[in-house]
Amino acid sequence: MGRLVKAEFRKITTTKLWWALLIPTVLIAFGWALGAGYLGNAFVDLLDGPEARELETVLGVDSGEWIVSYFAIARSINLATLFPLVFGALAISAEFSTKTITTTFLTAPNRVSALLAKTVVYVAWGAIYGLAIILSVAAGILISTDSDRLPTAAGWLGLAVVGVLASILMTLFGVGAGALVRSVPGVITLLILYFLVVENGAQLVLGIHAPDVIGFLPNGSVNGLTGSMAAELFLTTAESVPPWLEDGVRAVAGATGALAWWLSGLVFLGWSALVFGGGWISTQTRDIT
Amino acid sequence: MHDRSGRIVVNNISKTFGSIPAVQNLSFTVEPGSVTGFLGPNGAGKTTTLRMILGLVNPTAGTATINGCRYHQLGNPGAVVGAVLEAQSFHARRTARNHLKVFASAIGVSDQRADEVLALVGLSGAGDRNVGGFSLGMRQRLALATALLGDPQVLVLDEPGNGLDPEGIAWLRQFLRGFAAQGRTVLISSHLLAEVEQTIDQVVIISRGQTMYYGMLDDLRNSQRSRVLVQAGDAQALVTALGEQQITEVSTLQDGRIAVEGATSKQVGDIAAQAGVALYGVEEERVDLEQLYFQLTSGQYAAPVQHQYSQPHGQVPPPGPPPAQPPGQPPGQPPGSWGPPAGGPGYQQDPTAYQRPDQGRTPWGGQH
Repeated sequence: MGRLVKAEFRKITTTKLWWALLIPTVLIAFGWALGAGYLGNAFVDLLDGPEARELETVLGVDSGEWIVSYFAIARSINLATLFPLVFGALAISAEFSTKTITTTFLTAPNRVSALLAKTVVYVAWGAIYGLAIILSVAAGILISTDSDRLPTAAGWLGLAVVGVLASILMTLFGVGAGALVRSVPGVITLLILYFLVVENGAQLVLGIHAPDVIGFLPNGSVNGLTGSMAAELFLTTAESVPPWLEDGVRAVAGATGALAWWLSGLVFLGWSALVFGGGWISTQTRDIT
Repeated sequence: MHDRSGRIVVNNISKTFGSIPAVQNLSFTVEPGSVTGFLGPNGAGKTTTLRMILGLVNPTAGTATINGCRYHQLGNPGAVVGAVLEAQSFHARRTARNHLKVFASAIGVSDQRADEVLALVGLSGAGDRNVGGFSLGMRQRLALATALLGDPQVLVLDEPGNGLDPEGIAWLRQFLRGFAAQGRTVLISSHLLAEVEQTIDQVVIISRGQTMYYGMLDDLRNSQRSRVLVQAGDAQALVTALGEQQITEVSTLQDGRIAVEGATSKQVGDIAAQAGVALYGVEEERVDLEQLYFQLTSGQYAAPVQHQYSQPHGQVPPPGPPPAQPPGQPPGQPPGSWGPPAGGPGYQQDPTAYQRPDQGRTPWGGQH
């Protein structure tokens, strides 16, 4: 098993894909965090004015306690984890495209161990991407946000954990999808279209008619993992947020209709397991011709 | 665990893709210490059979074992079996050396072994180049290097000659013979007999997914008798004279010549002289392996050719079902066929030797 894990690691490090995808991942994570961080900072600056203060007193809120950078962090992670998704999607589909899957299976004791080794290695790479995303996002936030509006230590830690988790699960989701589709352009088009266009479109409609469904969809649940965590962290610090504003907080966090962060995580774990398992079964029994 | 015999056993194996039977009830054994050729036209089921032996394709029925085990019961198969399957089994942007290192770690051999096999196949200088820039011949060499990483006991090669230049083919021939001489097993497929004729000891010939011949190449060679083609002044008198000497396997060709089997040209000449029959030409026709192979496999696509060329004379199995094209129709692509054009650059080496239309010959005595 150790031999196959080493072989799978080498497969990744001997081509350029891992850093060719890591560069845009880092740039997007950093850039988005920087932009969203400035935006949030400017928003809270606005609320700091004397007129806004008066309004806040009337409404019973205190924006001085608001750490809006949580939202910037969650949103940046959500977007950047599309890259580990694509990275995972290439794991098996590229092996089918280049036909290296033949040699992979020929040099492994059996297909179970070959696929298991791939799983181990891609979980590790999902974590590497997740850490890179967290560090890039943190850098963007640190630059853009006033120091007294930064997340607490617990906040950092919580978002880092769910961020890495989301990245790992997205990678495995991609591995499974790639094993099912077995075409590099096919699987990338399908995943990008689904995660960026199809489900976001569906969420617009569902947000009005049946918001509770969103939390059970793949993108809705993986966004819920980070978004609900961000909303929860925000609400914990900002005790003075009235209940009517909570839905708005969730929407800003990118977690409309989402379940609690840990439930969201479980739901997306289910989706990843389903797609990954499907890809595994199809690869396990397939004739390699 | 496996028995280390080095024996490949294919036992009644069949594979159906959807409703299309690719391989039907194929059985043969490949012994260690010899090179076995696996021959058949393109589409005969060679690749599917090899992939079933290697555990890449699941048989619909039957079994294929190496060392008494199925491929995935071998433990570390890369150290027992090496396989060269397709020239394009590489990531274009990975260097040759890195490609080998990846699979060296999968098999569990040292990185140094990657350099050794690179040198063995003559690619040392190209080790740090991306495989994407390799020629077909270089890819074949790299595929062979990959197969040799685990110092295997059994080597399975699917059309390894594709893309190799004559020098490369000569090198491969020598290499495989040396490999088998160490008591190891080699199974090599090809659609061209000429390509592997000098390499192989044993041969399995398949056509339409079925075994047409399985045995020693020399036995196949010896199964064919030569004919003596004679142009005689008085054909009838010669046939009578031959018959008196118990030489009865005689037939006439369309051009008026007589084909005599079971006699040497000297015997025929002597008998003709004694009978006072003038001979204008005596020619000994030797049936070569290439023609035999062609006859054994011609049922698949080049059906009309069977009418044009002579029937087999030896103890080889009959070449399958009757051809799709009715006799008399000009040779060419049969309707609905997608195979190579009949009479085209096929398997015959010397067209003039076989293209004499003799299907109209009438047996004069002997039967065959």
